[in-house]
Formats: sequence, C-alpha cells, structure tokens
Amino acid sequence: MRRAGRVALYLALALAALTFIYPFLWMASSTLKPPGEVGTLALIPDHATFQNYRIMWSRAPFGRALLNSVFVATSVTVAVLILGSITAYAMARLTFPGRHALNLATTAVLLVPGQLTLIPLYTLVVQLGWIDSYSALIIPYLFNATAILMLRQFFLQIPQSLVDSARMDGMSELRILFSIFWPLARPPLAIVAIFTFMGSWNEVLWPLLVVRDQRIMTLPQLLTVFALGGGAGTLGVSLAAAMVLVVPVVIAYMFLQRFFIESMAGAGVKG
Amino acid sequence: MPSVTFDHVTKRFNDVTIVEDFNLQVADGELLVLVGGSGSGKSTILRLVAGLEAVTSGSIRLGDTDITERAPRDRDVAMVFQDYALYPHLSVRENLSLGLRIRRVPKEEVSRRVAWAVDMLGLTELLDRKPKQLSGGQRQRVAMGRAMVREPSAFLFDEPLSNLDAGLRAQMRMEIGALQRRLHTTTIYVTHDQVEAMTLGDRIVVLSSGRVQQIGKPIDLYRAPANRFVAGFIGSPPMNFIEGALERADEMTWFVSDGMRIALAGVSAAGLTRREVTLGIRPDDLRMTFPSSGAAVEDGSIRGRVALVERLGGSSHMHVHAGSLRILAVVTALELPAVDDVIDLLILPQRVHVFAPDGQAIAIQG
Repeated sequence: MRRAGRVALYLALALAALTFIYPFLWMASSTLKPPGEVGTLALIPDHATFQNYRIMWSRAPFGRALLNSVFVATSVTVAVLILGSITAYAMARLTFPGRHALNLATTAVLLVPGQLTLIPLYTLVVQLGWIDSYSALIIPYLFNATAILMLRQFFLQIPQSLVDSARMDGMSELRILFSIFWPLARPPLAIVAIFTFMGSWNEVLWPLLVVRDQRIMTLPQLLTVFALGGGAGTLGVSLAAAMVLVVPVVIAYMFLQRFFIESMAGAGVKG
Repeated sequence: MPSVTFDHVTKRFNDVTIVEDFNLQVADGELLVLVGGSGSGKSTILRLVAGLEAVTSGSIRLGDTDITERAPRDRDVAMVFQDYALYPHLSVRENLSLGLRIRRVPKEEVSRRVAWAVDMLGLTELLDRKPKQLSGGQRQRVAMGRAMVREPSAFLFDEPLSNLDAGLRAQMRMEIGALQRRLHTTTIYVTHDQVEAMTLGDRIVVLSSGRVQQIGKPIDLYRAPANRFVAGFIGSPPMNFIEGALERADEMTWFVSDGMRIALAGVSAAGLTRREVTLGIRPDDLRMTFPSSGAAVEDGSIRGRVALVERLGGSSHMHVHAGSLRILAVVTALELPAVDDVIDLLILPQRVHVFAPDGQAIAIQG
C-alpha cells in the first residue's frame, strides 16, 4: 500500500517535471530543425542542422550583444555585492545619525513599483547624456534595496562579539566586512548574486528605452528587436536566438546551485 | 605590567545610567573580579576598558596613559569573550596569528608567540582545526591563546566560563588562575558566578545597578559584607536573613524576632531603645540540635520544622520552616531528622551580621 503510494507520488512528480522541462527541450531541439520541421512536437529533429544559428549570427550582431550582456550583468552584480554589503554592514553594525531613517527609506523603496520610476529615471538619463551608453544600463542598478535588506538581515545574525573581537584585533570596518562577514555570508551573497545577475541579464524594457545603437544592445534587447522586428524571418531562427540568451544563465545556475539550495534551506546559519 | 585606573567613570545609554561614578585602581599584575547580577554594569565596565563602548564622563588610564578616547585597536588590551568569538572560517593557527599579522608583527615573531601560546595551552594537535571541530574547553583555550599572543598590558575576561558545563568550568577556572599568576598580567575578570569570584580574584568588586557595593579581598567580603546585597550575593548557599529589632535588656543588646532572641555582644547600643534591623546568618553558621520534648527554645536558637532535606553526601541542606521564617542550614551530621521533625538551630553569635533598614551593615565585634 505504502509502496503503491510512493509510485503514484513519483509518477505525479515526474509528470510535473516533464511539463516544466518539455517546452525547454522542445525549444532546444527546434533550433536544430530545418524550417519545415519546427511546427512538430517531436524532440529529436529528423534532419539536424545549425542553419538557424548561422542565419541568426549573420543578420544581427549577436556576438557583440552577448558580450554586452555579460559585461553589463557582471558589472551590476559585482557592484550590488560590494556596495550592497557595505551599506548593509553600516545599517546592521554601525551607529550613526539617520540610521533608522535609512532603514525605513530602503524598505520604502521596495514598495515602489519599478514601472513608476521608469519615466523620471529616463528623463534623468537623457539629461545626463547617457542615452546609448553602458552608463545608462549599469549605473541605475548599482544599488539594490532588496539586496541591501537581505544582507543586512543576515549580518544582524552574526554575533556582535565577532565584530568586537575583530576591532580589538585591529581590523578596520571594511576589513571586518570583507574578511570576516563575507566568508560567513557566502550563501546569502550567492543568492543576491544569482538574482541580480539574472535580473540584469533578462532586463528588456529599460534597455529598449535607453539604447537604440545596436552595438550597445544587450542580448535580450537585440533578440526582442530582432524577433519582433521581423529580422528573424523564421521561428527556428528566433528560437536559436532565445537559446543563446538562456544558456549562459543555465550554466551560471549550475555552478551556483549548491549555494542557492543552501541558502534556501539553511536560513539559520550559525557562526 | 601597568595598572588600570578608573577615574569617575560614568556610562549612560540615553537616559539610563549603566555605570555610576566608578573609581578603582587595578594594581599591576592583579586579578580583579567584577561580579554582579545581570544589569549590574559589570560587562559594560569591561567594554569601556576595551573601547567597545565610549564613556559618558570620566577617564580610564592604562599605566600613565589616558586611553579613554582611543580606538579598541590602540589600547593594548586583549579580551576573551563569553562565546569565544573565534573566527569560524579560520583554523586555530590563523585565529591565533591574525591579530599579530594585522599589526604587522614580523613573521618569525608571530611564529614564536603562537608556538609559545600553543605549547602553554596544549593546543599543538589542534592547530589546523576549525573552531567548529573543537570542544567547548578547547575553544576556550584558543580564545585565551588569541589574547596571550598579543602580549597585552591587560587581559579582559567577559564571563569566559559561562558556556561550559560544570566540570569543565571548574577545570578551566583553575587553568585561568594558574595562567594569570604565571604571566602576571593585569587582569579584569567579569562573572556573575560568586564561586569564580571567590576562587580567582585577588580582589572582588561587587556591583549592583551600576554602583559599587563593596571592594575587597574575597575573604573580607565573605566575613564582613558591607551591606545586605553583598551578604546575599557572596557565599553559597546564600545567607539567611531574619527581620527583627535590636532591643536593650539585662544590660545586653538583643536581636529579637518571632519566637527567638539572641544576645549580640559587640553591638554598641548606647542610648538605643528599639531599632528595626535584619539579622544575617550563613547556612554554615547554624548548628542543629534535637530539643528534648517540652523544653523551651533557648536564647540564640531557632526552633522549626524540617521541610526538606537535601543530602549532598558530605553535607546536607536542611530547609527549616519556623513560623513565617524560611531558614537554610548546612549540616555535616550523619544522623539527619526526617521531614516534619522539630529541630533547633543554634546560631553562632560571633558569626552573625546585622543590617540597618537601608541595607548597610552595622558593625559588631565578634
């Protein structure tokens, strides 16, 4: 009886997993199909070909866009980790006038939907002359309220005696942050890194607003322009472009998966 | 080694006074124990010396140097924390040497000092382990080693033994005492445990609500507590207190309470009519006798009913109810009464303490 229940459970889980993974596998296989085959549900192409990728690569600067995406997402992620943890450390461990107000303001930022700030931010970027530049893609994302609050929450759990001890050992506050707190905060830092990187990587709306020069475009933006603008021509080529977009994120996730699960599961990390 | 001097040190958080006008000189090489309950300000005093909190007013000197305004790293004091505060991601060796490397102590000197501390504390086998892989006592030793390698002018211990179990605590207590005598480093030791205070301290400072209650050698605090707080705090099990009054009769001064009276030889009672006081008597200073039936209770004795007997082996704790009084006596007799038996507890008159209503001790010559 129990055994039958187990089997049923695993069947249901397998079915659910299949519904998640099938569209992805279908997309991956369709990029290898010639135009006539793309419409079918089969996962194994009859006549595998890289034609779709060749067409895609020749019609728009996807190589450059890939590099742009890597550059922008990496810059944003590094900045969010460093600036975010410095801010979080100050909010968690230092006393200064306005600390409470800063806490409230950071939380309040979370309540404002991104769409609301789009127009003022756009105006600002125009005024600063950042249109069609990496600055427009990177600088507005340097600080991230979610990351700050998440790291602050974790930093608050680190025993005060460690900070005291490090201060008496002669460490500066920055050194305490980077050589004591960072090694202890690897799981939350990894989470912040993954979310920030993916957020930046997948961003389409903002680049569409501030970048018109194809050489500055990120991959999702170029893809959108390419696919919606009819540049792809066929579905196979569009899907090939989507593949290029997805693969780096999947690879990054595979490397960081351990941290991802660690910090989801082990919120109570003890020092 | 320099002394540590507190000069009118006061600490307030917002409007709450944590430490009030604290004055003290910790002598060169002395082990001074700050003892008190939670909220007594003892840990705050330690943190003020370390520079982890800023004084509100007053000054702290290390030798002749005023360190009141200095950053923690510039104070030449080392601290051992209650939770050890070892860096969890570093090995024992790195934990010991980090503070020295930050101070740019030459490499050979770092190795020499680490080797010295490791040898003295018996940590040789553990050098490459992480704190997580150590037992409580081993972590405690590493924490002490980290303080030792700094070769500071003063050690600060913040309840270092309270996370250990009883057996280990007694052992580490002896080790800390032996180590301090060997290094002869001026030490301030904070604890809430009066046994640690009694056994370790050259002198003890008893604190309550941020105020000094008494400063003195352990045995002096035990024999002549300055007030009722100290009397109740020092000594285990704690002193019995009996509310009553001093009265003059038959050319003598008597302490009188419900169903008992005792002659106090040394109390100056000139012009005394009647005065409310509290009598203090330690559980060890009571002698148990079995009254013959029908006999009246003698002067200097309390008659009561046995409520509970706790046998500890060598001695026993007798909980005795006498009217509304609850008395604890420590007796070494082998033959013990049963619960509900009636016994007399003879008070040794030269061992009593008398406290005025404001809690201050009234001098008596025992």
